[in-house]
Amino acid sequence: MTIGISTYLIYLALSIALTVWVARTLHKNGRVFLVDVFHGNEALADSVNHLLVVGFYLINFGYVSLALKLGYAVDTAEQSIEALSVKIGMVLLVLGGMHFFNLFVFSRMRRRSTQHNHPPVSPDTFTATAVQQEA
Amino acid sequence: MLALTVLYDPECGLCRRAHEWLAEQSKIVELNFVPCASDEARKRYPQLDHDLTKKDLTVVGDDGGVYFGPKAWLMVLWALARYRDWAYRLATPELLPTTKRVVSLISQNRYQISRAAGLYR
Repeated sequence: MTIGISTYLIYLALSIALTVWVARTLHKNGRVFLVDVFHGNEALADSVNHLLVVGFYLINFGYVSLALKLGYAVDTAEQSIEALSVKIGMVLLVLGGMHFFNLFVFSRMRRRSTQHNHPPVSPDTFTATAVQQEA
Repeated sequence: MLALTVLYDPECGLCRRAHEWLAEQSKIVELNFVPCASDEARKRYPQLDHDLTKKDLTVVGDDGGVYFGPKAWLMVLWALARYRDWAYRLATPELLPTTKRVVSLISQNRYQISRAAGLYR
């Protein structure tokens, strides 16, 4: 196995491992958020959580796959490590960006679901209702 | 808040048309329509000033909160699933004065608008 091939294989192994790790973290910790957003509807929260993770995998593996090609020959271990650092660094940045985007989506959903339960204006006055009077 | 009682003017064509439109919308908060100053309205809210409710749209929440005029319009908007965001937008400090002006204008001229639109009164 040439150094070039092993560079690709190490790149793939590291990228896939990192993507799986971030996706699992997101899946595990995002659930609490989603259950809150959907007012305790756990089935819906799990479903949305799962769909989000699928999208996360698709985008990240898509990027990892597109960014695989080096475009130059790698002959020594030194060059291999340098090439890996650039590739893995890019994957990490994309993962970080995706992760923060997911957090942004979660917090936005949460904010929307909490702020929308109070009336937009305060009442001018209060009156007794017939139900209250009977009670 | 789970339900709002809307005290509307049954003699105004625009209000009846609005009532029909509201009936078709999907709601987050239940809307009960009661003609203003009717026996039903007096029975429900014995302490409310019913002459005042004839002048402008009035909405009463299930907690007894009374909203007159522009605030009543915003509350009705807030009850609708599709327009809840708009209720918040129109109620922001920047937009509320304009909202109040426009709503008051429509409300005070509701009989003229109804006639112009070909609705009875």
